[in-house]
Amino acid sequence: MAEVYSTLIGGKAGEGIKKAAQVIASILMKRGWYVFQQDDYQSLIKGGHNFSIVSYSPETVHHGYNKAVLLVSLDARSLEQHINDADTTRMEAIHYYNSDAVVQQPCITGVKFIGVPFSTLAKQLDCKPGNISIAAIALFCKWLGISPADMQSIIRSEFKRDVDENIRFAEAILSVASEEHLFPNVAALANPVSNPRLISGNQAIALGAWAAGLDFYYAYPMTPASSILHYLALKQSTHKVYAIHAESELAAANMAIGSVFAGAKTAVGSSGGGFALIQEAFSLAGMVEAPLLCILSSRPGPATGVSTYTAQEDLDFALAQGHGEFARVVAAPDSIQHAYVLAAELLCLAWEYQSPVILLTDKHLSESTCNINSFPQVPFADDHILCADNAVEPYERYAITPSGVSPLSFPSSDVSPDKVIKWNSHEHLASGLRTDKADAMVAMKEKRLRKTETLHQALKRYDRVHIYGEEGIPIFAYGSAVMELLEAQKYCRKPFRIIALIYLLPFPSEELQMFRGEAAMVMEHNITGSLAKLLRHELSLHVEHNILRYDGRPWDPIELAELIMEKLNA
Amino acid sequence: MRELGTGKENTWCVGCGNFGILNAVKKAIPILVDGGIPLQEMVITCGIGCHGKIFDYLSLSGIYGLHGRGVATTSGIKLANPKLQVISFGGDGDSLGEGLEHTLFAAKRNMDITLILHNNGTYGLTTGQFSPLSGHGYKGLSTPYGSIETPFRPIPLLMEAGATFLARGFSAKPEHLAELIVKAVRHKGFSFIEVMQPCISYNNTYTILNDKAKMLEAIPQTRALALELATDPNFVYLGTFLQQNKPCYHEELFGDINPLDDRFNAAERNAMIGYSHGKKEA
Repeated sequence: MAEVYSTLIGGKAGEGIKKAAQVIASILMKRGWYVFQQDDYQSLIKGGHNFSIVSYSPETVHHGYNKAVLLVSLDARSLEQHINDADTTRMEAIHYYNSDAVVQQPCITGVKFIGVPFSTLAKQLDCKPGNISIAAIALFCKWLGISPADMQSIIRSEFKRDVDENIRFAEAILSVASEEHLFPNVAALANPVSNPRLISGNQAIALGAWAAGLDFYYAYPMTPASSILHYLALKQSTHKVYAIHAESELAAANMAIGSVFAGAKTAVGSSGGGFALIQEAFSLAGMVEAPLLCILSSRPGPATGVSTYTAQEDLDFALAQGHGEFARVVAAPDSIQHAYVLAAELLCLAWEYQSPVILLTDKHLSESTCNINSFPQVPFADDHILCADNAVEPYERYAITPSGVSPLSFPSSDVSPDKVIKWNSHEHLASGLRTDKADAMVAMKEKRLRKTETLHQALKRYDRVHIYGEEGIPIFAYGSAVMELLEAQKYCRKPFRIIALIYLLPFPSEELQMFRGEAAMVMEHNITGSLAKLLRHELSLHVEHNILRYDGRPWDPIELAELIMEKLNA
Repeated sequence: MRELGTGKENTWCVGCGNFGILNAVKKAIPILVDGGIPLQEMVITCGIGCHGKIFDYLSLSGIYGLHGRGVATTSGIKLANPKLQVISFGGDGDSLGEGLEHTLFAAKRNMDITLILHNNGTYGLTTGQFSPLSGHGYKGLSTPYGSIETPFRPIPLLMEAGATFLARGFSAKPEHLAELIVKAVRHKGFSFIEVMQPCISYNNTYTILNDKAKMLEAIPQTRALALELATDPNFVYLGTFLQQNKPCYHEELFGDINPLDDRFNAAERNAMIGYSHGKKEA
């Protein structure tokens, strides 16, 4: 197994911690390394404590680590919080700290603490407080053996503002950086790949949906879904995609259905609280049979909960989304790369079955970053739409069909003036006109329900389950928990299999038949064990251990491996 | 011009003001079609309530949406295909109660749509509870001792929010209302028509409206005058209060393109995903 190393940067919000970590991840990625970056931040703009971890290896890194071989603490709180986060298993770790804020040099075996007067140097060189994390980039470059000239060009290409003062500051930092304790594995850094790209889970979702044909995205900002809105808003000029910040999630979802009616591929996204408002229109989408991609990125709840941390509390909420009975799909990507593929699949499924679909993710998957070296081919929504034959008159929006799917048509001057396309939130006749007649209700309810079975069959063309590992006890998980398990798998002396549920609804019973009644573990980030409950119900799974974590934090892979070993030996 | 009715049984009360609105729309549509808007590019939306039934009585494409959300749905239709002319029908509960935010924001954005407010001052279909436009003291099932709230004044409210066409009609004057609808649809930007509509069962205002209705002689010269006339306690002025040119939302967003026509195909999208990261790394 290839070694995995980590670098940790900690400081105050507003000091550019995340950006510095991104630059470090980018440096490594361009040198052929696999990287994973995760950011821990609070819901505030300045101050507090933020830290980012970049974990890297010559092989795929599925998840970040808590302990680092190189740590940079820009303030006293960071040093205090991360004083025991040095990874000393393979070498002496270095922890640079701000000697302006900390008087006494700490002393821990295996860790070299080096005080650097970051604040004084920044002040002397007229640098803004927001640029202090440049120090971490400089210290990392030194550690990795990157020449001062290369470091300069990196800073030039990564920062648009204050470039000269950033370089001045970085050079001053270099002069005080340790000449010893350099990165031991430089030889492995010589395998650059072409066109790697750092991408977050949310960016992968946005891009995947766009690749499948997305035209519009409507949302109201809510962490951790907001970066989808931001990313797509930025892409308007180049990608002809329109991201609209609506007055509320209610507006966003109803506007989205309007755009779908007109023929645009449309998505909405939010976290739990905002999604609760989307729920009203989710039900509308079920009734009017609107193809709508809905992205639900979870954070700890209930209510406002903990805005900037991770959780998997919304499984039941997603599965039972919307009042009334209708076909829908719920699926969760199990990696950042897979989020790209799944977003595309789901947009296509929505259009193929004219149903709302939910892509369920969580803060950890949405906002963490890794490298993607190439994007796989994905399906395109237009190739999956059942369009009405213009020759068939009169057009009936809700024509009763064996599959339950009625042909779509969009208002435009291309269709006959006699063509009337009526979508109706009331129960309706095939024409789209309202009805409350008993037989008409039955016919339309049964038509809609037939889509569930049609969908179920069609879903078999996609990977509904991912299984990682050949032998050992199965551990079931979905979303970012799969990433944690994949990294932990590297450290477990006893083998285990990871059963990653991608499609949660319709439930992939066929693919999981072999586990019916079997003993297994379930790992998830919530207090009630909602995934375990689902698996007991659907598969009569014998859940020996339900590993729950609900403190908003992801697992460290090594700690998780130890916990699994403990459970296996229990 | 083909038949604009659907043949569906009409379930409004005999004497309902909604008939006048339906007639006015049926008069306005042929004029708009003659003026060059293809019938198949005319789309309607509505919310839920007595007003919403108009959807079932008009043989036009559209969405019979959720209570309060008609204007949001309308905005989404317009943005995806700006060639469509979308008329949204709303009740007082729809447009100014449950959906107030959408109405104000559509006006704020100067979204190029038309909102026809069926102002009957009550919640008819849900048996006469008070509405955001019911007067102080209005007695209904939910306010048996009389409403203690002051009603909104729709035209000042929408003017402040940013609507660029403001008019008031009366369901008992369908010819005049039809003229207003034609003007509103042709106006580029957010058009709002407050239609005074008696509810024969719960808020019969025919006598008072017939007594107080008075035609505006011209569009008021100033906003201050428009507001004064719109809120005159002695008369219910009918006509156009404001018509103003201002860029509308979709033009500001994407100019004169149509997002449905101007989109990348699958191959282009795949190529761009390859290309854009190649470029970024170059």
